[in-house]
Amino acid sequence: MTRVILVVAALFFVALFLVLPLVAVFAQAFAHGWRIYIEAIREKDVLAALRLTLLVAAVAVPLNVAFGIAASWAITRFDFIGKNLLVSLIDIPLAVSPVVAGLMYIELFGLHGWMGPWLSQHNLHIVFAVPGLVLATIFVTFPFVARELIPFMQAQGSDEEEAAVVLGAGGWSIFWRVTLPNIKWALLYGTILAASRSIGEFGAVSVLSGHIRGRTVTLPLEVEMLYNEYNFTAAFAAASLLSLAAVITLIVKKAIELISGVHTPPSKEDFAE
Amino acid sequence: MSIAIEKISKNYGRFTALDDVSLTIDNGELVALLGPSGSGKTTLLRVIAGLESPDSGTIRLRDEESTHLNAARRGIGFVFQHYALFRHMTIFENVAFGLRVQRGGTRLTRREIRNRVDELLSLVQLDSYARMYPDQLSGGQRQRVALARALAVRPSVLLLDEPFSALDAKVRKDLRDWLRRIHDELNVTTVLVTHDQEEALEVADRVAILNRGALEQYGTPQQIYDHPVSPFVYNFLGNVNLFHGRLLTDLSPATQSAFSGHDIASIIGFVRPHEFELSRSLPEDRHAVLATVERVHAAGPQVRLDVKVNGGKNLVAVEVSKARYRDLELREGGEIFISLQAIRVFNDRAAAEQLLDQGAGI
Repeated sequence: MTRVILVVAALFFVALFLVLPLVAVFAQAFAHGWRIYIEAIREKDVLAALRLTLLVAAVAVPLNVAFGIAASWAITRFDFIGKNLLVSLIDIPLAVSPVVAGLMYIELFGLHGWMGPWLSQHNLHIVFAVPGLVLATIFVTFPFVARELIPFMQAQGSDEEEAAVVLGAGGWSIFWRVTLPNIKWALLYGTILAASRSIGEFGAVSVLSGHIRGRTVTLPLEVEMLYNEYNFTAAFAAASLLSLAAVITLIVKKAIELISGVHTPPSKEDFAE
Repeated sequence: MSIAIEKISKNYGRFTALDDVSLTIDNGELVALLGPSGSGKTTLLRVIAGLESPDSGTIRLRDEESTHLNAARRGIGFVFQHYALFRHMTIFENVAFGLRVQRGGTRLTRREIRNRVDELLSLVQLDSYARMYPDQLSGGQRQRVALARALAVRPSVLLLDEPFSALDAKVRKDLRDWLRRIHDELNVTTVLVTHDQEEALEVADRVAILNRGALEQYGTPQQIYDHPVSPFVYNFLGNVNLFHGRLLTDLSPATQSAFSGHDIASIIGFVRPHEFELSRSLPEDRHAVLATVERVHAAGPQVRLDVKVNGGKNLVAVEVSKARYRDLELREGGEIFISLQAIRVFNDRAAAEQLLDQGAGI
């Protein structure tokens, strides 16, 4: 009986707070029919925002993948002073509000910030420009890949890599032939999470964007601006794109879990090894 | 290839893994590093392999200083306790790995690699498993693949880290004999780490016994078994009865001279189960004690008895032949005189106390 109550309660809350709003987004977007929806999406500014969002993700995600691999490798394969500190620092973006992250970059790179004068002398624009958006996105997605890889690589141990070393393999050869094939699913999983977050990021990006339509406005910012202009259909149409990205992420994530066994409880055999 | 280990020390924080260890391994020899867990045997093997670097001391391979030589360039084969096969590669690719990553002029052609891998898989009798993945094989088969992979690059030294300890008893015995045959066939210098004294004594040309990071004794299995240099070695080789001083005076005239001038409490004596003499009546020299037979294990070539010296607390393990067992008409609950044919006495209070603390002793 308790079980039934718990299950029903859980389903009810999921339906009320997650599924219903998602459905509402699409309902609103299509409220005036297909034609209006397509038109809203093909609006010049919306397309520009979509392109910018994808561009930012395309730069931020690979950088974080590279960082995540390097950090997890260093943390799981070597002992060094400050290792525990590094592990803790990786989590900072999860603890700090994205708005604060945005403000930190303003303080650092803004016109009156620490590096502002030097940057403007050299005609480099970070704040209120695309590089700022990329930086903010890197900051908020920083932990995702490393968080995924560290426990996974710890569990796998370094036996296989040591075996490869003794057989005469060099560092790159070991990485491509042994390490990467072993971590590929966990890496993909972390990458998906990072990509999804970088597409949806609002707070940090909002501070650094300057809201210049068609140039520094990403899709989440565009949604907010349309909404503030009472352009509800267009706002929901753009929002539906973000929701679609979220749904795709969920499906890919689930598929990875099913195919690879990442995030499934280890079987008895894994322990018998 | 000869290996000279000179004054190697290694610490992990405040834990001393290796303490000034020196030993040499001759070309073509099979040496076992034997010791309990924490004795430093695996650390020593990893230092030889170049997977750990020592805090001090030198490693000379083939008479060349190699202490800090990269593991990839030492020309060694290493077999890990838990196999460490590449899980995403087939058995064929696992064995071929070392050949494929060779650099420069020494790299074999595709065809040569195929032939070499086939040759090795037939050496380890796994020809038909080439296309399978490691998780489709049993533990014993996986360890054979690991050995084939290590041998593929024609190493001049083969290092094995407790290779059979994760396998069940029957497979372990088979693989041990088989390892010895492969060693003799290929004449490759081999170092085997094990905590199983039977395995070490049976398979190795020489055995190095380590205790708390230090080398206790290094010699042939026979030297080690017949002439253990310390209480630790004697006790570790297993199957011993440990007596302290007072009781021994009653048991054997041979030991009395050993006691003169010593504090009797610091003396310990070791007697192996087959070194007892049993008799139904008190022998003429009167050096025997009466004991009760508590348990008889008659399965096997020898009969093992657990007896308790009357008035004592602990059991003594005694072995007699089947024929002697019948002559003596032994049965559980019966009484028998026991005396000693041989004993090894150490006058070492610290060692005596350490061993007695572990619950040994009579």
